[in-house]
Amino acid sequence: MIVDAHVRLGWGREVELSAWRLIGTMDELGIDKALVAPGERCLAYDNREGNELVSRAAAASGGRLIPYAVANPWRGPDAVDELRRARDGGARALAVDSVLQGFDLLDGLIDPLLEVAAEAGWPVYVRTGTPPSALPMPLASLARRYPQTPFIMGRSGATDFWIDAAPALRYAPNLYGDTCYAPWDTVLNELGRDPEIGPSRLVFSTDAPYTVPAAELRRVQDWPLDEHARGEVLGGTLLRLLG
Amino acid sequence: MIDFHTHTPSWRTKSWLGGVPFGADEFVAFMDSAGIEHALVLSHDGLFDATPETNDDLAAFVARHPDRLTGFGTVHPRKPDAADEVDRMLGRLGLRGLKLHPWLQGFSMHELALDPICEALAARGGILLSHDGTPPYSTAGQIAALARRHPTLPVVLGHGGLHDTWRESLALTVETDNLYLCICGTPPYAAREILARAPGHKVLFGTDAGLSDRKSQDYAVARVAEIDGWGITDAQRRAMLVDNPRALLAADR
Repeated sequence: MIVDAHVRLGWGREVELSAWRLIGTMDELGIDKALVAPGERCLAYDNREGNELVSRAAAASGGRLIPYAVANPWRGPDAVDELRRARDGGARALAVDSVLQGFDLLDGLIDPLLEVAAEAGWPVYVRTGTPPSALPMPLASLARRYPQTPFIMGRSGATDFWIDAAPALRYAPNLYGDTCYAPWDTVLNELGRDPEIGPSRLVFSTDAPYTVPAAELRRVQDWPLDEHARGEVLGGTLLRLLG
Repeated sequence: MIDFHTHTPSWRTKSWLGGVPFGADEFVAFMDSAGIEHALVLSHDGLFDATPETNDDLAAFVARHPDRLTGFGTVHPRKPDAADEVDRMLGRLGLRGLKLHPWLQGFSMHELALDPICEALAARGGILLSHDGTPPYSTAGQIAALARRHPTLPVVLGHGGLHDTWRESLALTVETDNLYLCICGTPPYAAREILARAPGHKVLFGTDAGLSDRKSQDYAVARVAEIDGWGITDAQRRAMLVDNPRALLAADR
């Protein structure tokens, strides 16, 4: 089974993706399920609209789409309430973007939301990259504070903080790497052959609509791995994290 | 097509950028497999230890296939003989430009030591290609400030701002006459936006080949293939892959 760990539905500054189009791409590529988060505006600002959008899309998908919940931590107790509301609407994981939502991973703002995720047994996706508020190493420190919660290091620090991905994964055993954008013959090989990491700590995502989904899947399919390990990357690990 | 951003292997340094060693013949075989007719080959060892020997190595590498490979050497701007080395690179060694990587090499584009280097480069009709997309020392605004100090020197943003500063790279390419942008490791949605909004003659493409665990440079082949899914026009594709790099390389020679 192939499960896409991260897609954004709705519209962002330069992109747009409908549930209808996403399902079409999944059918074309043989992707069975996808975790869907709301697009940029709803991640940053109108969380309620975004949570309802992905909840509706999931409900209409026959189990193919699995909703993330989002809430801007600056909303304080209202953010906690919004996550609980999203959980009641079917959300199965939390998606965080500290750049779009305007906070620092270690400033404490996100912690009440992580308490909700822990209570619900949700994995937490955190977008990483070059912004100082979205680096892999602080995420590893954050993940260590919630050792029972699986954290997905979205984009694995792409691109110039790929060098931090392995140390972050070694530091936090409950942190998982993300394959999107990462060449198998440089980054994924390094992570996969590391005895403290290995392919079972990596999850496949297309990061649509920012990418060419076929190219993202092809890269993982081209990666010389035994089929068990490939199955873990393409969905096995993520399905376990989702319970 | 012309690939405006590739690297030699590292021969003299323990580069964390990794990759297997390969020769010029093997590199041209990779280019053939990806449909690349010509490649700009940038220094690799020199990014970690910029010595004249690393430029000699690069010149020997591209000299095996002068019709297919063009070299860009490097210097460290704080070395007192850096401008002389730029002159030697473009003169005796036959290289075509200078690659700088401010965060790997550890300097700021605002340092005045860069001025005589850029003057020597401009005097030879050379091109400057800089890594961009990585704060603190490799942002387009910083690189454009240097470009404005040397308005006759073509300056190329080597990575189109990567994932997090591509909007800045696009904006500075629009507002800076002698600044060009190479899409290389830039995500597809950003590439599409850049091609739609940048001046049509200013966008280039590179694979960053040379850093793979395999001589076949699989990720670079995949990056070329991925262009089919970007959703760009045939005219944009041709300008980026053929016309723009050809015109830039032909200018001032």
